[in-house]
Amino acid sequence: MISSDVIRGYNDTIILFLLLEKESYGYEISKEIKELSNEKYVMKETTLYSAFSRLEKNGYIVSFRKEEEELYGKKRTYYRITQAGITYYKEKCEEWNLTKDVINRFIKEM
Amino acid sequence: METIKNYLDNMFLNLPKNQEMLRLKEDILVNMEEKYSELKKSGKSENEAIGIVISEFGNIDELLNEYQITNQDMNTVDTKAADVTLTQTEVAQYLEDKKKNARSVAFGVILCILGAAVLILITQLGTDMIFGNTLTDDIAGTIGVITLLIFVVAAVAIFIASGARMERYKYLKDDFYLPSALQSVIEEEYQNFSYRFTKIIILGVSICILSPTVIFVGTMFGDSGSVYSVVLLLCIIATAVYLFCYFGGIREGYKVLLKLEEYKREKYKKKSDRVIGAVSAIVWPIAVCIFLVSGLVYEQWDINWIVFPITGILFGMFCSAYHILTDNRKTY
Repeated sequence: MISSDVIRGYNDTIILFLLLEKESYGYEISKEIKELSNEKYVMKETTLYSAFSRLEKNGYIVSFRKEEEELYGKKRTYYRITQAGITYYKEKCEEWNLTKDVINRFIKEM
Repeated sequence: METIKNYLDNMFLNLPKNQEMLRLKEDILVNMEEKYSELKKSGKSENEAIGIVISEFGNIDELLNEYQITNQDMNTVDTKAADVTLTQTEVAQYLEDKKKNARSVAFGVILCILGAAVLILITQLGTDMIFGNTLTDDIAGTIGVITLLIFVVAAVAIFIASGARMERYKYLKDDFYLPSALQSVIEEEYQNFSYRFTKIIILGVSICILSPTVIFVGTMFGDSGSVYSVVLLLCIIATAVYLFCYFGGIREGYKVLLKLEEYKREKYKKKSDRVIGAVSAIVWPIAVCIFLVSGLVYEQWDINWIVFPITGILFGMFCSAYHILTDNRKTY
């Protein structure tokens, strides 16, 4: 398990990565995160939905509902990445590469 | 499934109940339910699945920060003093007890009315010498009054006992929180009950209004006939009163739980206009007192029975007016 403190700054990036491929909804995203991380990272509901809220407010994603879809009488909320979201994602990737390089200089085998 | 919903309800308990929050809550619920059904499909037991879903919920503070909800925004109106959250069993128990209570109160009230009926009946039996010379006017009168008193004592005992039994639900008079899942179940039950209740009230009021006709019929059979018809009239009115008290009591239970009308927290805080049951518990004994005093002191036995049909009609009018008024209030 990963400490959520370390990963916090990159939750948005993780979600945007998945939305780059296709539009998706809450459960599918959290499931894919779990699978892609080999079950080493499980994103909590509260983390996921704070991220959605933040990303939407910043205009990086848009939410919508599919009219034809019904599920236990309720509708899923779907998310789609925007152009601004793609730009932001690229920035975050660069930032991570930089961070990774810097931190790696302080990491050694013991 | 229900457990997850309740868990989420509790998590969102103190959050503002605006459109944004409701939508967020619904989204999270859909998410959690999907996770739950998938875990179940993968062979996890009910408890395991619920455990995993709840453990992966996270920390509500995270959402509070994101949505910039401060303590001031927290829903203090609704849940300020609501440290009691009702469970399904508690609610079912309360409604059940309320029903029993309504039944005993209704029974007590009709005991008072029937007491008067028995008094008239025995007195008239004495006058008519049905039991020959053994039951003279005086003895009949005495037996009648004693019977009436016994009935009234029994009724009072029932009122006190049933009041004491409901004492443990006193906390419902203060604030409490009803989980929304439970609330919708009760609302539906109340809806169904309301249809029946309206019919019952119509029936009861009709009985009260039509009841004096037995007097007219009784009068055709002479003096004693009219007195016996008063006994019958009282029995008929007792039936109507029983309906009012019993169903009124059950209705009150729903209204307490759903915080309707006089049980609404903010605007109409504990209006003094209690319930029909309470009113009848006062009105009918008063009617009996008037009946007794006018009879025993002023010897007006031949006419004072009129107090019961009059009370019956007035009471019926009160009931329907009460319901019209309280129903109107809902629309404000």
